[in-house]
Amino acid sequence: MKLLTRTSRSYIYISILVFIISGLVFYNLLHNIFKHQLDDTLIEEKMLVEQTINYSDSVPDFRLVFGHMIDVTILNSPQKNRGFISDTLMYDSELGTFASFRHLFTENTSIRHKGYTINIYKPLRDSEKLIAEIVISLALVFVSLLLLLVLVNYFITRRVWIPFYRILHNLSKYEINQSEPLELPQTDIYEFQLLNQTLQKMSKKIRFDYLNLKEFNENAAHELQTPLAIIKSKLELLVQKENLDENQHRLVSAIFEATTRISKLNQGLLLISKIENNQFIHTEDVNLEQLIDKTICHFEEMIDHRGITVSKKYQHRVTLKMNPVLAEIFITNLLSNAIRHNIYQGHIEIHILKDSFTIENTGQLLKTDPRNLFERFRKSANNPDSVGLGLSIVQNIANLYRMKIEYMYHEGLHTLKIFSINITN
Amino acid sequence: MKILLIEDEKELSYSISAYMQKENYLCEAVFNFEQAVEKINLYHYDCIIVDINLPDGSGLNLIRSLKEIKSETGIIIISARNSLDDKITGLEIGADDYLTKPFHLPELNARIKSIIRRRNFGGVNEILFNDLRVLPEQMEVSVRGQSLVLTKKEYDLLVFFLSNRDRVVTREAIAEHLWGDEMDMADSFDFIYTHIKNLRKKIMEKGGEDYIKTIYGMGYKFTDQ
Repeated sequence: MKLLTRTSRSYIYISILVFIISGLVFYNLLHNIFKHQLDDTLIEEKMLVEQTINYSDSVPDFRLVFGHMIDVTILNSPQKNRGFISDTLMYDSELGTFASFRHLFTENTSIRHKGYTINIYKPLRDSEKLIAEIVISLALVFVSLLLLLVLVNYFITRRVWIPFYRILHNLSKYEINQSEPLELPQTDIYEFQLLNQTLQKMSKKIRFDYLNLKEFNENAAHELQTPLAIIKSKLELLVQKENLDENQHRLVSAIFEATTRISKLNQGLLLISKIENNQFIHTEDVNLEQLIDKTICHFEEMIDHRGITVSKKYQHRVTLKMNPVLAEIFITNLLSNAIRHNIYQGHIEIHILKDSFTIENTGQLLKTDPRNLFERFRKSANNPDSVGLGLSIVQNIANLYRMKIEYMYHEGLHTLKIFSINITN
Repeated sequence: MKILLIEDEKELSYSISAYMQKENYLCEAVFNFEQAVEKINLYHYDCIIVDINLPDGSGLNLIRSLKEIKSETGIIIISARNSLDDKITGLEIGADDYLTKPFHLPELNARIKSIIRRRNFGGVNEILFNDLRVLPEQMEVSVRGQSLVLTKKEYDLLVFFLSNRDRVVTREAIAEHLWGDEMDMADSFDFIYTHIKNLRKKIMEKGGEDYIKTIYGMGYKFTDQ
């Protein structure tokens, strides 16, 4: 939900709630005031009736005087003074239906030593009509006020949040490995200024750390090359010694293999940092078909050794716009991956489509999460000797050329689909 | 045969010198740009091995000045930077070969030999070993005068062995020589074994001797001793 929708919605909900509650309270209040007034009038009329009886010692037709129902009865055996006011339902001749009336009843023994009962009925219809009119007009005022406020709120909020959305936009566009620092729009709102400052500070720090780490990686890998070269050369000299026994040979051989692994690992890391540092600027037209064929040729022995069959379906002639070295590494790593993680007498199928290509290979089910497939040092349990950088390098190259890679698995077939490839027309 | 080695990393320089001495090369080692310039101007060398990143200058400049004096010396660049640009520049200005550190000493040796063979003007470019004869330009091999049909890999393997005769050559060095970096080591050892078996068989079929000795767990040695 958007911020603006959220605030507007809560605003409307709360306003409606307040309106309903205050409306009810207001209605009751109004109702009580009118009832009170009616009761006052009833009491006044009663006193008037009593006075009239007291003066004239007779009971005139009060209905003519007041225009509504008054009923006075003379009591033969007066009991005591009592009285009440209540609501009652009666037939209203004017409306033609039953309606609410206010009813005053009093029994008086003190007028001229006689007893009377007085019943006065006053209709509530006028005051109810008035209340209804007041409530309706108030509701109208309220609704239009609400609409206006919501609108005003909507526009103000929208205006106020504009810098925020701009900041958000710039932030989402920002990539840590881009060369320019993070740029944020100017704003005169204090909170957003603060947000800007904090973001700038954070991104600066992250960028600094990132560049530092990148530089460290490259330097470390680079500095390792020379000692590795020395170790290798010394081992090669050691191997030449005539008097080494089999055990010593085995020791030297193990050191040799481990050194080779470090050296391969190191070369892989160097390559990744070079790709990340954008050191492969030069691009050429690379014929994908030829490149794949050449690479398959390169792996011929491995393919034959494992009894793998390779089938190719080239539906389009695709020319990639890539650095030739990276293109070669890209295809080599993909194919090497398809061969290495294949089964004996397995199958590899390569499809070239218009703007994508797929490499499909038979193989055992992945034991790791496929989402981690492209991470560094992810190795399969079947091949513990591999360095585990192949697919990570593939991913890095893909990122560089904005290609996407998708992994799919279906009934023993692993498929890597490389799409939105950088083609030349 | 005189070789000048320009490498600032002393231990690596010692290793290379030690390996070359067994080839009966006269290997002179210098450790910086200045010494190198001095040597180049005073003496003639058959081959120069030069590191690009020297503490007081670039190896590329050394190659340029060598080419200015129209030297016929063979040049091999060794560099810790596996950079295509450096490689292209180096080869463009007249280097004969480019090796990235860390490299195998037999590999360097094979490359030096190849360069020296190619520069052996007047003489026949051939490799002789007892009854074996290899003509590198034609890629022809013969045993006791009978020509031998070898696959590309077998041929490469044989030349590599002949360049490093009487030496233990590790399986890693062979794998890298034949397939480059991209090969899975465990697999390539099997392939090396197969190639060697076939090579041995082909040479022996033509009446040649078995010169390839297996050094258990380590590699092979091409020798007649």
